[in-house]
Amino acid sequence: MVGEMKAVVRILKDTFSFNDLPISERIAFAAFLVFVFFFPWIVHTAYARAVMIRFLLFAMYGLGWNLIGGYGGQVDLGQAKNVGFGAFATVLMISWWGIPFWITVPVGIIVAVAESFAIAYPMFRLRGHYFAIATLCVALVWQQLFLFWDWTGGARGVELSIRSTPNFTYMQFGAMGYHYFIFALFMAEFLFMNWFRKSKMSYELQAVRDNEDAAASLGINVTWTKVKTYLITAAMGAVGGSFYAVYHLYVDPRCVMQLDLSILIAMTAMVGGAGSVWGPIIGAAMLIPLDMYLGALLGGMGFYGIDFIIYALIIMVIAAREPRGIWGIIERARRRGHVLRG
Amino acid sequence: MFLEVKNLYKEFGGVVANAGVSFGLEKGEIIGLIGPNGAGKTTLFNCIAGYYKPTSGKVFFKDKDITGWPAHRTSRAGIGRTFQIIRMMERLTVEENVMVGAFCRISDREGARRNAQEILELVNLKEKANAYPTELPIATQKRIELARALAIEPELLTLDEIASGLNPLETIQIIDVLRRIHKEKNLTLLLTEHVMEFIMRISERIIVMSAGRKIAEGSPEEVARKEEVIKAYLGEKYAKGK
Amino acid sequence: MVLAAQIMASGILMGTIFGLIALGLTLIFGVMNIINFAHGEFLMIGMYSVFLISTFLSIEPLLSLPLVAVVGFLLGIISYYLLIRYLLRGPMIAQLFGTFGLMLFLRYLVMFILGPSPRVIQEGVLIGKTVSFSWFTFDLSQLVAAGSSILLFVLVSWMIERTKLGRALRATSIDAEAARYMGIDTEKMNALAWGIGGATAGIAGGLLVNFYYATPTIGMLFVMIAFATVALGGFGSVKGAFAAGLVIGLIMMVAGHYLSQIKLAFVYLAYFLVVVLRPRGLFGW
Repeated sequence: MVGEMKAVVRILKDTFSFNDLPISERIAFAAFLVFVFFFPWIVHTAYARAVMIRFLLFAMYGLGWNLIGGYGGQVDLGQAKNVGFGAFATVLMISWWGIPFWITVPVGIIVAVAESFAIAYPMFRLRGHYFAIATLCVALVWQQLFLFWDWTGGARGVELSIRSTPNFTYMQFGAMGYHYFIFALFMAEFLFMNWFRKSKMSYELQAVRDNEDAAASLGINVTWTKVKTYLITAAMGAVGGSFYAVYHLYVDPRCVMQLDLSILIAMTAMVGGAGSVWGPIIGAAMLIPLDMYLGALLGGMGFYGIDFIIYALIIMVIAAREPRGIWGIIERARRRGHVLRG
Repeated sequence: MFLEVKNLYKEFGGVVANAGVSFGLEKGEIIGLIGPNGAGKTTLFNCIAGYYKPTSGKVFFKDKDITGWPAHRTSRAGIGRTFQIIRMMERLTVEENVMVGAFCRISDREGARRNAQEILELVNLKEKANAYPTELPIATQKRIELARALAIEPELLTLDEIASGLNPLETIQIIDVLRRIHKEKNLTLLLTEHVMEFIMRISERIIVMSAGRKIAEGSPEEVARKEEVIKAYLGEKYAKGK
Repeated sequence: MVLAAQIMASGILMGTIFGLIALGLTLIFGVMNIINFAHGEFLMIGMYSVFLISTFLSIEPLLSLPLVAVVGFLLGIISYYLLIRYLLRGPMIAQLFGTFGLMLFLRYLVMFILGPSPRVIQEGVLIGKTVSFSWFTFDLSQLVAAGSSILLFVLVSWMIERTKLGRALRATSIDAEAARYMGIDTEKMNALAWGIGGATAGIAGGLLVNFYYATPTIGMLFVMIAFATVALGGFGSVKGAFAAGLVIGLIMMVAGHYLSQIKLAFVYLAYFLVVVLRPRGLFGW
């Protein structure tokens, strides 16, 4: 009994404690949290609020991807399928049977995890490029299926009826409500990642990423470690999808399961810094405002694509110079500072 | 017998790397495995540790049949190893590398860290705990690998050419470390090596392999005088002890 | 029965084009072990090049192909010297997202300059004509495309097998370090592979645009088909790319006839199964 209580205390401490991080990071993160929390009070335009919500959603997607892609080192280019599973589970259960949101979320998770488990063992026989393309293919197959199936709405998609807000059964709110909703989800995933990065599994996963044979020599079951991680990533993607469904009130396979979404999720985390807990947040903070402001602005004037041109240039430069992403650049500069200071 | 290898065959699509090798180790021994290049020493190691599945034959460890067990299972069962080509987890610090090993036996991070620090102390690496392995010289990295393997609390440690690339001073240092851990941790050591001064000095018993077979066994002095052994090495005379 | 033969024949025709697209991809992979995610964009730029040349310079699309080949070749070489060269020094993950960056860059650059609407060629010697013999009817432009693809395959294969340059390429793909010791400039070989990749993809695009519309995002579709083809044929194998192209073409046409909405799913599934069950593909190493 005492042992279990000690374990629970330890888990809670790991989840909520940031003491092992340098003070500069802690302060920056606190400032970030304060900014995000008070954002809807400071800024009132609907568009800006939408940008912030989209940023938090992508940061969340990135955190989930970061597990398999960053800590695990397996580039997964099919995360959109998991988002789609979550989104469709939620949207179908609400529109068919009126099931409350919080019950649809575990269902979405179960679907995503079950599918991921079914394909995980064959897929993890592959490495590197082959693995990446295989994940791409699986996601595309699912998108094609969902477009083809009538019972899931086909290409028409599924709509949710608009209800009076605030509605806590179906999670419909005004912009402020959605903001705090996604913020809460984001924090939940972030705290999970805070626990994860200190856990035994994180060490094992990184060991597998860096050197599989060495990891095996230390008692780590390499394939099972990868599979476990892949399942968690799938679950996290599904949660994001469930949010997407009740936020947009419309789900269709072309949007929610599209290849571009998978690529964006992966790229954002990699540019920000895969393998660190800040990376996905930094990556999303770069892409989303770029896309929603520059892209929308110029798109409205008939100039499409400039946001992605800039983003693509950033990706190429980072790939060529610092594959560990922006956070990698920051860390490298910091260590050099330490070495100089002796 | 602590470790027993019976009639091990390993074939790779027509090339026979191990042709019916048999030997045994008692607990607490230090055994050296030598032989010219291509004798099949690393293949033998890989078959014992589980990176290859033997084509036929058996491996027994602590009276359990571990033939064909995958690498992570033999490690958990108590067989640790170091690699011929250093395999570091480059994005983890020295301490974190060793912690990965410690996590094999303990689930809590603080405990794993404490174990790791103890072991780093044992191999004289405590000051380097927060460095990254790739910043350190090869000899140091070999000690890190050793520390990491020790962290899983093995009973048998197989060391694949741990002295290769070390200068004479580093070789003496590593012999010292190995002797110490052998005594303090009550380990059984199985080493393979090309550096003759090293392996002849540290081993209690030597097994000689050539072209996939065992050709001699005995104390270092006996084995060095045996005709078959000298013949096997005759062509390698100039490569002896880099 | 006749219908089945027609479908299969169409499949083989399209298959030769898929083979051509896959050729560049497999060559690049064979020489330097990198997967060019931007390959579809080279194709797309080939399509647009022919479209622009034929529409604004009133040149017969077919005749603009040599120019497109040059454009593609230059595009490949420039991509190599400005980006790929640096990616090769990094970890695999960087190579992956580096070529992804290139893909996005080219795609959105074209979208920015030319807009997102689909473009179709209106006039040309091949447009809208069909050819029939015995009981088969083919779109003339597809027939010419298939013929050109086969021709190019023969040309490239000859170059690789019979010329000194081709030998140098092969040496680099087998063992780059050894090739360097033998005096081969492997940097130039890498760039050449990219040049050929760009040129063949560009030509394939130039042929496709006679019967397929051009949009900035069309690249993704063809590159996925090309991946499946390369995987089936064996990463690095030129004749594998040709054979696999035919198979994938057949799969697509047959699936397209019976289940046209998800015919692509079969292609993706084919990739997945090949790569999991027989990673070497048909002829690969």
